[in-house]
Amino acid sequence: MTDELEELGRRVSAAREAAEARGETFYQGASRVHLAAFPPRERWDDWVELSSRAWPAREEKHYMLVPTTCFNCESACGLLAYVDRESGQVRKFEGNPEHPGSRGRNCAKGPATINQVTDPDRILYPLRRSGPRGGGGWERISWDEALDALAARIRAALLESRQNEIMVHIGRPGEDGFTERVLASWGVDGHNSHTNVCSSGGRTGFQFWMGIDRPSPDHANAAVIYLISAHLEAGHYFNPHAQRITQARENGAKVIVVDTRLSNTATHADYWLSPQPGSEAAINLAIANHLIQTGAYDREFVRRWWNWAEYLTACHPQVPVTFEAFEEILSGLYAEFTFEFAAAESGIPAETLAEVADVVAAAGHRFSCHSWRSAAAGNLGGWQVSRTLFLISALLGAVATPGGTFPNAWNKFVPRPIHVPPHPGVWQELSWPLEYPLAQNEMSFLLPHFLKDGRGRLDTYFIRVYNPVWTNPDGLSWMEVLREESLVGCFVALTPTWNESAYFADYVLPMGVGSERHDTHSYEQYDGQWIAFRQPVLRAARARRGEPVADTREVNPGEVWEENEFWIELSWRIDPDGSLGIRRYYESVERPGEKLTVDEYYGWMFSHSVPGLPERAAAEGMTPLEWMRRYGAFEISRGQGAVHEQEVPSAELRDVSVDPFGRVYTSAPAPADPNIVPQGAPSPDDEGRRPAGVMIDGVVRRGFPTPSGRLEFWSSTLAGWGWPEHALPGYIRSHVHPSELAADQVVLLSTFRLPTQIHTRSANAKWLDELAHTNPVWIHPRDAARFGIARTGDLVRVETEIGYFVAKAWITEGIRPGVVACSHHMGRWRLDGGPRGAGAMTATVGLRRSPGGWAMERRAPAGPYRSADPDSQRIWWSDTGVHQNLTFAVHPDPISGMHCWHQAVRVRPAGPGDKHGDIAVDTAKAHEVYQRWLARTRPAGSVSPDGTRRPRWLMRPVKPAAAAFALPAGPAPGGQARAAGADGPVR
Amino acid sequence: MAETDLPSPRWAKLLDQSRCIGCHACTTACKSENEVPVGVTRTYVKSVDVGTFPQARRAFQVTRCNQCEDAPCVAACPTEAMYRRPDGIVDFDKRICIGCKACMAACPYDAIFINPEDHSAEKCNLCAHRLDIGLEPACVTVCPTEAIIVGDLGDPASEVSRVVSREPVQVRRPEKGTRPGVYYKGAHAATLDPLAARRPGGGLFAWATQGREPAGGRSPASQRAPQTVTSGHPGRGTSQAAALLSYDVPHQVPWGWRVSLYTWTKSVAAGGFAVPVLLAGAGYLGWGNDVVRWAAPLLALAFLAVTGALLVADLKHPARFYLIFTRRHWRSWLVRGAVILGGFGAIAAAYLAASLAGAGAGTARQGLGWAGLPLALAAAVYTAFLFGQAKGRDLWQSPLLAPHLAVQAALAGAAAVLPLLAWLAPGRAVTADQAVLAVAAGVHAALVAGEVAQPHATAHARLAVHEMTLGSQRLPFGISVVLTLAAVAAPWIGTPAAALALAGLLGYEHAYVQAGQRVPLA
Repeated sequence: MTDELEELGRRVSAAREAAEARGETFYQGASRVHLAAFPPRERWDDWVELSSRAWPAREEKHYMLVPTTCFNCESACGLLAYVDRESGQVRKFEGNPEHPGSRGRNCAKGPATINQVTDPDRILYPLRRSGPRGGGGWERISWDEALDALAARIRAALLESRQNEIMVHIGRPGEDGFTERVLASWGVDGHNSHTNVCSSGGRTGFQFWMGIDRPSPDHANAAVIYLISAHLEAGHYFNPHAQRITQARENGAKVIVVDTRLSNTATHADYWLSPQPGSEAAINLAIANHLIQTGAYDREFVRRWWNWAEYLTACHPQVPVTFEAFEEILSGLYAEFTFEFAAAESGIPAETLAEVADVVAAAGHRFSCHSWRSAAAGNLGGWQVSRTLFLISALLGAVATPGGTFPNAWNKFVPRPIHVPPHPGVWQELSWPLEYPLAQNEMSFLLPHFLKDGRGRLDTYFIRVYNPVWTNPDGLSWMEVLREESLVGCFVALTPTWNESAYFADYVLPMGVGSERHDTHSYEQYDGQWIAFRQPVLRAARARRGEPVADTREVNPGEVWEENEFWIELSWRIDPDGSLGIRRYYESVERPGEKLTVDEYYGWMFSHSVPGLPERAAAEGMTPLEWMRRYGAFEISRGQGAVHEQEVPSAELRDVSVDPFGRVYTSAPAPADPNIVPQGAPSPDDEGRRPAGVMIDGVVRRGFPTPSGRLEFWSSTLAGWGWPEHALPGYIRSHVHPSELAADQVVLLSTFRLPTQIHTRSANAKWLDELAHTNPVWIHPRDAARFGIARTGDLVRVETEIGYFVAKAWITEGIRPGVVACSHHMGRWRLDGGPRGAGAMTATVGLRRSPGGWAMERRAPAGPYRSADPDSQRIWWSDTGVHQNLTFAVHPDPISGMHCWHQAVRVRPAGPGDKHGDIAVDTAKAHEVYQRWLARTRPAGSVSPDGTRRPRWLMRPVKPAAAAFALPAGPAPGGQARAAGADGPVR
Repeated sequence: MAETDLPSPRWAKLLDQSRCIGCHACTTACKSENEVPVGVTRTYVKSVDVGTFPQARRAFQVTRCNQCEDAPCVAACPTEAMYRRPDGIVDFDKRICIGCKACMAACPYDAIFINPEDHSAEKCNLCAHRLDIGLEPACVTVCPTEAIIVGDLGDPASEVSRVVSREPVQVRRPEKGTRPGVYYKGAHAATLDPLAARRPGGGLFAWATQGREPAGGRSPASQRAPQTVTSGHPGRGTSQAAALLSYDVPHQVPWGWRVSLYTWTKSVAAGGFAVPVLLAGAGYLGWGNDVVRWAAPLLALAFLAVTGALLVADLKHPARFYLIFTRRHWRSWLVRGAVILGGFGAIAAAYLAASLAGAGAGTARQGLGWAGLPLALAAAVYTAFLFGQAKGRDLWQSPLLAPHLAVQAALAGAAAVLPLLAWLAPGRAVTADQAVLAVAAGVHAALVAGEVAQPHATAHARLAVHEMTLGSQRLPFGISVVLTLAAVAAPWIGTPAAALALAGLLGYEHAYVQAGQRVPLA
């Protein structure tokens, strides 16, 4: 080595010896050698690297390293922005080694954040439409104009008691609770989400078991990992989970993957089960039945923690309430779910299922599992996929054990903020209609149909990181409604980049990407709790250099803002004098009467609500906010363990009452808890005592946030709200069950993900677009022969119940015969004459009314174009896939409310007039399909056992005040739409 | 090594495909770290779908430079812009890269590309700029599953050393003798062999397209940009298990029509000088004949000038062509070739000067003519060695390539001078030249027939021959066969045979040069 290099090494080497000699942190990397994975954190103010471009000339570059959080999916992995000290701009993003979930590592989407920052097509200034909606005319306006106009509208609506005409529709929240509290502060039940086109089905199954709607599998310590769908490369928390699954495999864990298509995850499975879509619950039940029949379940766990006594009392009043009697009944409950039955349903040989069941049985408490979207989001009754999956965990006693599956609330920490507004006093029936009293989340994707049906109107409708026209099924019905000013008075798109919905907006307000905004979040990625901080990195960099920035717009490109400051400013202008009672939630505590800043908001949160953080920061001579700005993430605890087993301290037990099944209520107030993580909120007893725990063998233990305090094998909620036949984990035949398909129909899996894209969120990342830009229809060779499709690349017409799309065929052994699959990331479009959109991924289309509805045709593919980024002229791909979601009708599950994505389709060779990307949709038919599915519901008006709209204990964003839960007087919209099934027995 | 000197590390990389989830984090982390433009990559994850449902899997291969100990790119580089560091890293210096693409042609892994921003060759260099300050490469740091690690092979305690020594690992294409410093663990044969997997049709991969395609969507391979090489075997693939290439990136042919044409102009230059001199030497022509006196040197110089112009024009940094001489790397046949061409040009120029000097310099000119012959021969055949440095291109590894190039030069020379002889020296010289032409064409045709008919040992060579005869090069090749066979009839056809022969040779050389590069290497 040269002297020069040795000199450099002495100054800035991150290698172990050099770093440790300087008393600095050495970040050990995967290679386990003297090389560091990251620069020592003590040098993050001025880190010197050598330029890769000037190499081998040793040109030094000085960077300030500023942490933030990736916003390209929900995993919230840490990023470190390398802010060039000379230019003041971000040069690149690497992982943040201080982040306990992602541990410095990222997927392809992390480094690609820089593409989004430098995206030549991004929106830089607030825009207002000039001309008709969707006409493509835009004028630049100031933020003041936008804020004043919106504040005036919202203020007027609030003053005129039109609270339900204000709605904020959120795609991926990427944060914990800020926006929900904004709406609560306005007294508006206007939160709408994307969850019912995403994870509601998965959540529902977990919620009815444990009162908490997400699993937190401790993969790293598992002996057997059971995954429904592609959690190694595309599922929830894929990078954090892939790390831990791989760690477990290294230690000998077996991996079972249930995934109809050949995913990267299926590739790594010890057992890859490719089932007929919709049969997943039958497989789970066959495994459960095996555990029951062979006595391979944890009897003590089942006896202590299941609500079997409540079940026996309610459903088998003739038998004694003893565990032995329950076991006797249990042994018969799933007897029909033999391996042969599951084989017939799934198409997987019974011997394979038997082998898998033995592997599961051997796992004991070290059985981790995960089901999130996929099957639970694909099928009618898909929520039973996760409910039956958790049945296996509950039989094994692998609940909150090392290597087992935890309720997520125990591995998540949502710090209490500076202001907590009360529950709103209104009920938004457009999101929470009476037909769906048990819906896991807002019936978001039915909004256009509700508006068409005259159930209401919206005065001001915001979308945020959400592209309803593209993301939802039946996007053209959305477009029809969004174009109609009588239904949607003012449509505001908060977005960093153009999208298919923003084209129809009245205001397009640019918001920052992952490194340009503030958020906090905490996700269950292992048995521990952490919070992470997303921040505008240039703002943090300026602050670190002693140049505080008061407004994120000062550092963002153009006039790009962030939502938090926007909401504070908008709320202030809605209630400038405080007379509406809104302003106080946006006032500073330190400087009464003045506006709250994000610095104070997060500073207060980090100082008051994050245990251990103030001490940790003080030890380094920093305020908690400074510490978080510097390191980006903080681990609050590790090893939460079995919270349900914790004994309730006697101080909490005062004036106790115990119900016949052991639910313990107390008059003592709940101890203050800075963690306000969402979870079930079981009702108090008749005297108003709050539920504090559950009596297990004479000891009051914390239990689960369910009505019974136990794991609810039998759900009194489902039984009591009109669905007694589904109160136990069970198997509901899918709407795409083979018996529902015509001979020439196959199932289309339309939801599969790739590791390199994320919905509509990543199209503004050129590196990701280059890696994955099209979505051919996967077809098994046997089906291709059957349909007369000769070769990969040939055009096929895929016919759904409301239209068709024309795509290319990908003939592959990676899909079950009788099933076709199409990834959902692609098919982005822009209307001819409109703004460019994401240039690397957007085809220009024509959209016209046709006799049968709407017809879309591609006029120009993506291609090279001139921009500030020379790379845009190097775009070598033109095929950007097909927007299949437009051709799907809505399929709301009558219980969970989840859109059931799978489609029964006909696939045939494209006709002579068909062109790639063609789409035809009949929105009148779409409305008929909506009505058919609506008829499957059992509305609250007929099934509610207590005169409320919805069980109050169930989780719900922006939960309204108790009074708003009361069923409305008079005939309800859903009252007459009672389905035949609603006459079933109601206990 | 002095005792106080620390031994230099021997960097090696381990790609553990048993842990790789195909997420492409390494791909974008590398793009970010090294500011790699769209359209080119230093590393990416190839994937092959193996097996038949339901016993199927997706096999991954993190694909990149292999840091070879005997790096063909280093040998081929004329300026040592591509060089091997003592610690085993094959690094590059863009400041002295002339953009000749010899390294790209030489690399048996197709891991090198020309950066469209700076027009210099680059590839993975293990993030040398990071290693040198004690940081792991960007791909190592980002990988979610720790599937990529680096280490010192000289340090038995390093994880890389342990795995390489104790576990079954593989390298890519060991038969090329490059001694890669990048090891694969758990890689599938269907990914390691670039021809194992079948290339999908329709210009598609499972979630991407195969390369630049015309607007409008459907694009048969023949319509795609001619310089693109799509990975995968266009036929059945060499894998016995079903194997379908499900993802790869577009690759570019290093050498295009300029290099094809250069082999032809060079043949004309060499043959155009040698044939008249030999005819004179054999007594078919007088040394004073205009063809010998003027045509020979002028043909040589004119076509050498065109040859040089083509070579310089093919450089991505044409203004740096002088570095071939000032930073010459003797192992590179590009340098040796430049010197040979220069020497041949000098002799031809001297010969022309002697011609200008008139009869007084006749003896000197004869001497120069004889002296020029070996240089003409060298100019004709050195390309065999240049192509031979392209270790991955099996078609070019034939021991008969050098004699074949000599025959081609004879063919080109005989054809080029035939009309001149017919004009300036009718008679037995013409007959002799027609005979040379006929024999050269016949031998050339026989060598081509042998090339085509000979059972090639490697799938690569077979595929290259297929590309030449029935694949992308079938048009120029087919024409060349017809024209060359026609040229065998030169004694009967006469002067028109010259045009047939030259056109036929041009077609063949283009087909041969291009077909050699049309076989996927990644």
